[in-house]
Amino acid sequence: MPLGNLLGFVETNTMTLWGRYFCFAIAAIGIDLIWGYTGVLSMTQAFFFCLGAYGIGMYMTLSNLPEGHQLPAFMEWNQVTELPTFWAPFSSFPLAFILSLLVPALFSLIFGFFVFRSRIQGVYFAIITQALALAMFLLFSRNETMLGGTNGLTDFKYLLGFDLRETSTKLGLYFISFIVLCLIYIYSSFLTKSKFGKGLVAIRDSESRMRFTGYGVSAYKITIFMIGSVIAAIGGMLYLPQTGIITPGRMDVQASIEMIVWVALGGRGNLKGAVLGAIVVNLLYSIFTSILPGGWLYVLGGLFVITVLYLDKGMIGLFQQIQAYIKTFFASDKNNKEAENEVINVSA
Amino acid sequence: MLKSKLLFLTLILGTLSFTAFSFEKTVENSVQTLLSNNKTELDSVVNFLVETKTPHTYALIGAILEKRLYVKGTKAYTLFPGIKSYYEVYPEFKEAGNDVVGIVPLKLSRKYILKFRPLSKYTQLYTPVAQSKLNAYQRFKQSGTLEDVAFLTEQLKTESDEKVKTAGYEAIYTIWLLSGDEQLEMNALAKLGEGASDQMLDPLEQYLKKKENAPQDQSYILASELISDIQAHERFINTAQNLFSGISLGSILLLVALGLGIIYGLAGVINMSHGEFLMIGAYTTYVIQQCFIAYLPASWFEGYFWVSLPLSFITAGLIGLLIERLIIRHLYNKPLESLLGTWGLSLIMIQICRSIFGDITAVKSPELLSGGIEVMDGLILPFNRLFIIGLTVFMGVLTYIVFFKSRLGVKIRAVTQNRNMSACLGISTKRIDAMTFFLGSGLAGIAGCAMTLIGNVVPNMGKTYIVDSFLIVVVGGVGKLVGIIASAMGVGVLSKIFESFYEAVYGKVIMLAIIIFFLQFKPKGLFPDKGRLSEE
Amino acid sequence: MLSVKNLSVAFGGVQALKLDQFDLKENELRVVIGPNGAGKSTFMDIICGKTKPDEGSILFKGEELIGMSEVKITEMGVGRKFQKPTVFTGLSVFDNMLLGLKVKKDIISTFFYKTKKEHLEKIHEIALKVGLQDDLDKIAGSLSHGKKQWLEIAIVLLQDPELMLIDEPAAGMSDSEAEKTGNLLCELSNSHSVIVIEHDMKFVEQIAIDQVSVLVRGSILTQGTFQEVKNDQQVIDCYLGAPDSAQTQRSA
Repeated sequence: MPLGNLLGFVETNTMTLWGRYFCFAIAAIGIDLIWGYTGVLSMTQAFFFCLGAYGIGMYMTLSNLPEGHQLPAFMEWNQVTELPTFWAPFSSFPLAFILSLLVPALFSLIFGFFVFRSRIQGVYFAIITQALALAMFLLFSRNETMLGGTNGLTDFKYLLGFDLRETSTKLGLYFISFIVLCLIYIYSSFLTKSKFGKGLVAIRDSESRMRFTGYGVSAYKITIFMIGSVIAAIGGMLYLPQTGIITPGRMDVQASIEMIVWVALGGRGNLKGAVLGAIVVNLLYSIFTSILPGGWLYVLGGLFVITVLYLDKGMIGLFQQIQAYIKTFFASDKNNKEAENEVINVSA
Repeated sequence: MLKSKLLFLTLILGTLSFTAFSFEKTVENSVQTLLSNNKTELDSVVNFLVETKTPHTYALIGAILEKRLYVKGTKAYTLFPGIKSYYEVYPEFKEAGNDVVGIVPLKLSRKYILKFRPLSKYTQLYTPVAQSKLNAYQRFKQSGTLEDVAFLTEQLKTESDEKVKTAGYEAIYTIWLLSGDEQLEMNALAKLGEGASDQMLDPLEQYLKKKENAPQDQSYILASELISDIQAHERFINTAQNLFSGISLGSILLLVALGLGIIYGLAGVINMSHGEFLMIGAYTTYVIQQCFIAYLPASWFEGYFWVSLPLSFITAGLIGLLIERLIIRHLYNKPLESLLGTWGLSLIMIQICRSIFGDITAVKSPELLSGGIEVMDGLILPFNRLFIIGLTVFMGVLTYIVFFKSRLGVKIRAVTQNRNMSACLGISTKRIDAMTFFLGSGLAGIAGCAMTLIGNVVPNMGKTYIVDSFLIVVVGGVGKLVGIIASAMGVGVLSKIFESFYEAVYGKVIMLAIIIFFLQFKPKGLFPDKGRLSEE
Repeated sequence: MLSVKNLSVAFGGVQALKLDQFDLKENELRVVIGPNGAGKSTFMDIICGKTKPDEGSILFKGEELIGMSEVKITEMGVGRKFQKPTVFTGLSVFDNMLLGLKVKKDIISTFFYKTKKEHLEKIHEIALKVGLQDDLDKIAGSLSHGKKQWLEIAIVLLQDPELMLIDEPAAGMSDSEAEKTGNLLCELSNSHSVIVIEHDMKFVEQIAIDQVSVLVRGSILTQGTFQEVKNDQQVIDCYLGAPDSAQTQRSA
């Protein structure tokens, strides 16, 4: 596709769009690790995605300040005179980069510690994380939290000296997203094939058996929750430079649940499924919002329902089924033909 | 013949009064001159009335200032905004009935009205509207001087309204307090010591500021004690108010959470679209109101709400039933899948609703439920919220009876505990599921109907409550009526209390932290199952 | 080896278990029988840390188990097989057994775990013992009920426990399968202490090479060899329901 772009076949916008899909796919892999493999339904992954995006966003805000301004515009509107302390480290890229990963890691560690320690599991965990998503969405929407309120962070022009409007920068970001997606995919598939990964599946299948086999289940859950959250944050970090805006709307309850549906639709417990689901749903979104703006929610709602009712193993599972069906169909087709021939022979 | 005689008489009388006035300038004369609109003498008469400051004339002057003066012979009348009846303002201030025959409006020119303006602080006390009178007294706290005290005392002697009286006396004490005369200050403080309303907070603080240099004075100490008393009282009122709105919030949450908890216990289904039944209830109410407006006589309008209550229950219940049969029944005992599927359903329901009704609609509350009762000074409990609490208690008791005292309830509980065994015992689990969904969704529908009393009707109104309701179910323990009731009230009251200390958002965050902390000790809710039932 | 004293637990006012004394020697195979709801599984749940008792003490190798976490108890050498066979249905039989293997089980060790030759040998040895040597590549969820029971026993065995708590191992098994299981349990008791809960009297007879304890309404009714217990009038009443005891039960 990038080749197509260079040759003029593929529009740059389409490229950026796909770059974004890759970011979503990265987050989807994280969800698949937590939910598909370990069976822990976290409904707050969009929040971790946004933590990464906000981290990079804060750096870009500070490095893109217009001439003569000491503070981001939204702070000036709120009569803030001094940069809040927690913003200060984000003026340096390495620090911002590290913090964008460290903050979600620590957050998920602390939250996971308390929640998994008390053996909150299954539905209870889903509900608690949903409440967390809601609370964080509300918190980030406030002006007092100094993160741009409902308008979020936007209006960036440069990242590390590269002009974000340049096609070459866009192409670069596209490539980086693609490579990171591949790396994370490889890392995750290595992880799921290791003994650790098998332990995760074991936790999904029977937590108490796992515990009475001598594994500290909570520690395993916290670890994978952290890994999944950091992966989501990586997706967010790559996402922001490509969209140029991050708002709390990206982290509300709806956003997190949507991410889960990507994985469910693609096929949970299967990394390919997660990637596929994220890309397909977002592709559909792009198509529908341009041709039938009011209809998207119906489609999305319908996707939710169809997935849980009919696509237990997701699209990947469906493909496998179809494959199996085609195999048997051709096999039976042969038989039928033979039978027909016999009939013809007989009638002749 | 008669007419000309009358004219003659009036002329003579007019001349007589004129001559009398020219000899002796009394208030009575001046007023009569004014009322007769004698242009030549008006200047001096107005000046005289302003200078003499006679309380007797204030009501009349008030009418002039309000430009609502009517004259009939030697008597003057006025009309107050919002009141049908006429009031006599001269020679006496009293009600004069709806019809006063033969009155003529009298308009004075602007320059005279301006001259009367300085008296307005006195004239505003002459009103039948208690609130206006109260406000008028309040104004004396800023504008009053020691000279006014006598007048105010005189006025308050005939005052019957307790609140107005308090405001009046407090105005006097304020004047004393800020007079600079130590004796009067102490008097005021002593009087206020017997009981001071929260309106005295400003004057007392002003007084403290004046006395900043002498904080060891007894008066200073007294005043600061008074302030802390008032603040304590204010805090008490606030707490009571928060408690009350917390309970009413908890009530709505309870109605939603009850259905959620019962359904989850019975079918193992996390019904994310449950909030949308609240929305359906609210829109049912809206539609019924529109029907009442369009097809029934206006006098019947009040009745719409009482029709809506059962209908919103039934509509929401039926739609719940339909969705259960079509979709949810395939998701039994798959809580996480059902969570996603019903979320999708809720998206569709919201979008359908938005395309039919648009983004926002409002339902007018019935007259009967507007207003409130004042339990104590400053603490008002609105009827609509009281009604919601009452409704919840009623529905809660009803649910309790259905659950624990009826055959249906026994069956529901049996299926909740062991579906297969119940089916073996001849319970039609299908019917029980259907009934439970009907009841659960209906409860949310009623909550929606009640919601129209306190807020707008918007398509995504259910989403506001769903997350909180789930938290309540988690805290209360799934399928536990008592637990759900306790945690709904707890969450409702606590979140209102936090909201009063911090912003609503921080309240939510703190609430969540508390719940997670709580679950450290009671991971299965307030009232967990024990023994075998507790196993996964 | 195991010494239980004054153990009691109540669920919502119902006394589920009230054991004054229960002792188990090294390499002893104890069969616990008793009617439904006698508290047999609860007893095991308490030993392995799943249920917290109201009071009492359990000494295992001289250490108090009550208050320890499940993982700690498992590490101490207590293995538990559940009533309903619980295996990791999404993993292969081999992986199930790999996870059971007695190695360090903290995250870091698991993360960097490399299969060693002696581990493979151990797994194959146990697989042979429980008769799963031909099913190692199958997905555990696809196994028959009986084989799942064996797989769970294999997982527990691989932990190299000193005390095995086995809850209804023969439930849902054919006669020949049950007999095989019985032989396995008898063999295990040569090198492990084993407590078995069982209902099926034929199976009990097979495995009751040591003592049998009868648990009724949370307390030990009697204890002895299989023959002693079988002929005990109290036990017979309890199982067959003597007319007066049935009445007392009802009135209680």
